[in-house]
Amino acid sequence: MIELVVMILAVLGCILAIMQRDLLKAAILTGINGACVAFLFQFLLSPDVALTQAIVGAAIIPVFLGLAVYKTQRNDES
Amino acid sequence: MIDTASIMNILADTQLLSLFTSAAFIIVGLYGAIFLDNIIKKIIGIAFIEEGANLFILTLGYKQGGVIPIFLPGMNAEWFAANSAYPLPQALVLTTIVIGASVLAVMLAIAMVLYKKHGTLSASEIFGDKKIISRNKNSTSKNRGSNNFDDVGDANE
Amino acid sequence: MNELIALMVIIPIACALLLNLFHKKDNTVKIIAIVVAIVLPLIPILANFGLHYFGGHAPLITNPSLLEKVPETIANSSLAIFHPAVTYSYEAIQKVFIFFLGIVAFFAIFTSLSQNKKISGVLMFLMFMGTAAVTALLLSDDIFHMYIFFEIAALTQVGIILTSKTDNNYETAFKYLILGAIGAPMLLVGIGFVLGIVGSVNITDIVYAISQNLVYPFSHSLLIAFGLIFFGWLYVSGLPPFHTIKANVYSQALPNAAALLQVFTVITFIAFGITIFRIFSYLPFFKTLVLIFALLAMILGITMAIMQTDFRKMIGFLAVGELGYIGLGFGLGTELSITAGLFQGINEIIVTALLFIGFGTVLYLTKTSDTRKLGGMIEHTPKLAIMILIGGLAMAGVPPLNGFQSKLMIVQAALDSGFPEIAIIAVLISIVTFMVFVKAFHSIYLKPKPNNLKVLNKPVPNSSIIAITVLLILCIVLGLFPQLVTDSISQFAMGLI
Repeated sequence: MIELVVMILAVLGCILAIMQRDLLKAAILTGINGACVAFLFQFLLSPDVALTQAIVGAAIIPVFLGLAVYKTQRNDES
Repeated sequence: MIDTASIMNILADTQLLSLFTSAAFIIVGLYGAIFLDNIIKKIIGIAFIEEGANLFILTLGYKQGGVIPIFLPGMNAEWFAANSAYPLPQALVLTTIVIGASVLAVMLAIAMVLYKKHGTLSASEIFGDKKIISRNKNSTSKNRGSNNFDDVGDANE
Repeated sequence: MNELIALMVIIPIACALLLNLFHKKDNTVKIIAIVVAIVLPLIPILANFGLHYFGGHAPLITNPSLLEKVPETIANSSLAIFHPAVTYSYEAIQKVFIFFLGIVAFFAIFTSLSQNKKISGVLMFLMFMGTAAVTALLLSDDIFHMYIFFEIAALTQVGIILTSKTDNNYETAFKYLILGAIGAPMLLVGIGFVLGIVGSVNITDIVYAISQNLVYPFSHSLLIAFGLIFFGWLYVSGLPPFHTIKANVYSQALPNAAALLQVFTVITFIAFGITIFRIFSYLPFFKTLVLIFALLAMILGITMAIMQTDFRKMIGFLAVGELGYIGLGFGLGTELSITAGLFQGINEIIVTALLFIGFGTVLYLTKTSDTRKLGGMIEHTPKLAIMILIGGLAMAGVPPLNGFQSKLMIVQAALDSGFPEIAIIAVLISIVTFMVFVKAFHSIYLKPKPNNLKVLNKPVPNSSIIAITVLLILCIVLGLFPQLVTDSISQFAMGLI
């Protein structure tokens, strides 16, 4: 059952990140999504990919996005 | 014909569920990349599309009730061959994760340059209307050109 | 000497990484770049035909001692003939294409080294990386490997646009990346479907599994896979609906770099086209679909080219339109048509590179690419003008140049397979191409010179003249002796069907 919870969290994180007005929050939500996907990879019997995804999806991509938002603007005014 | 037993069956099928999850990622990502106006949001959507594609490929190798495809000493080869997950998709996904991250990095670098040039993150103002661009001309920067070559170089490695 | 097959990809990659290190040291960059650029077309001539298995992992069936050790269930199944490692196959067709790729890459690198005052190690890095990537695309027998190298090629294309200092280059690069980030995952999911059905990403294995009915050829998953990979093909090669962005990409790059960019596109188109043809040509609607998109590309490319006032954009659209002829070759699906299509691919590589470098000299002298502001350039560069005119005639298909030979073959193939309409459209499009080119030539070279046009008072760089001359000689040689390349291509086409 824990897979199901992780999947729902991942999809929720992804929908929330798209709907979020504050871009910094959206970046952080991307990280939650990436971490959930990393767990999901672990449940799908691939621990090595899960390690890579945990680093890339949960750390690097949110940090890149956060840096880009920090250098540009935080609010999505549209 | 939908009874609790069949629903429980579907819920117990991790492979099917994660295929649905990957489809959800791709759909949400496509929505974000095509319909949203903010370019950072577009990039986030693209990250989701790539994540969905990765999850889809990885799911193909999954085996319900199987073992991790690492051959440990003392395992029976025939049993291992019959029960392990398929390792090829995992090897492929490792590569696509890195490629996705590097494409994302290049896109963010370009997005930052575009923001400096136009003073906005809105795609319709950057790409479309000439009038709005000329209104924002005051905020254009002079130092275009060689400022983010190194980003591109790094990403290609 | 089978090691040379892998070296064709490894040498440019290693050179690219090395040049990135030496970014500010101009002389070192220059020497290394020129030496490696000379080596590039030489390797395919020296290498022997054959297969290269990375890591030495040949199929089980070729290794009897290992075959005895594995369980019988594996040894007797088709797994024994599947390819466990990434395989490069080097045949006559790859030889031809890699040779011409090397030639154009050499001239693109040579001219941009001698014309840019500030030598950029990064631009060299990108050019070599792209060359390596498309070489790998041609050689690879592994569809996922092709996807990876395509992504690298796409990133280098974006990088090459960014190094040019034209207006709007960042916008174009970003648009291309957004479209790419939608198109490439579709291709990846398509490859995923094939992987899920067959269990291998090696193209030979996939073809074997489908032809031996190991998998049901008309299953829905395979059809979805075809749809997704076909969509990916449209994106990687800039067929409609992606033709506008591709032409914009060409026009935003520097002319020397654009000459290389269009080679990347043509070779990507051909490599993926051959792959799709090998895997999916059994589908009944395959040929119709390819024909429709090829004709669309030709018609849209040419109509967009008529309307352009910027000559770089115009050549870009013409190049996209010419891709349609190669597509026709795949779509008609006979031996003659595929030979003609691939031959047209080689001609397009040479001719479009010639036109980009040739019109690049106009840009070099006048700093403008708007045909309305140009005129009377024939006073300044009369010889060059004549050479460019001959190049343009080769593109339009005037005898005895190479474009004529390949287009004639396509028209013949269309007539042979019972599509006179397509033959007529092909002839009409080539007439319109001629018109578009002559119009551009007139407005740049022949029309009276506008008063406010400033022309730099210095000669055209010798590197451009050498490049144009050599490419023109290649055009004429291929026009007079097409069998130099068509022999090896038709061999390949025979094996394909």
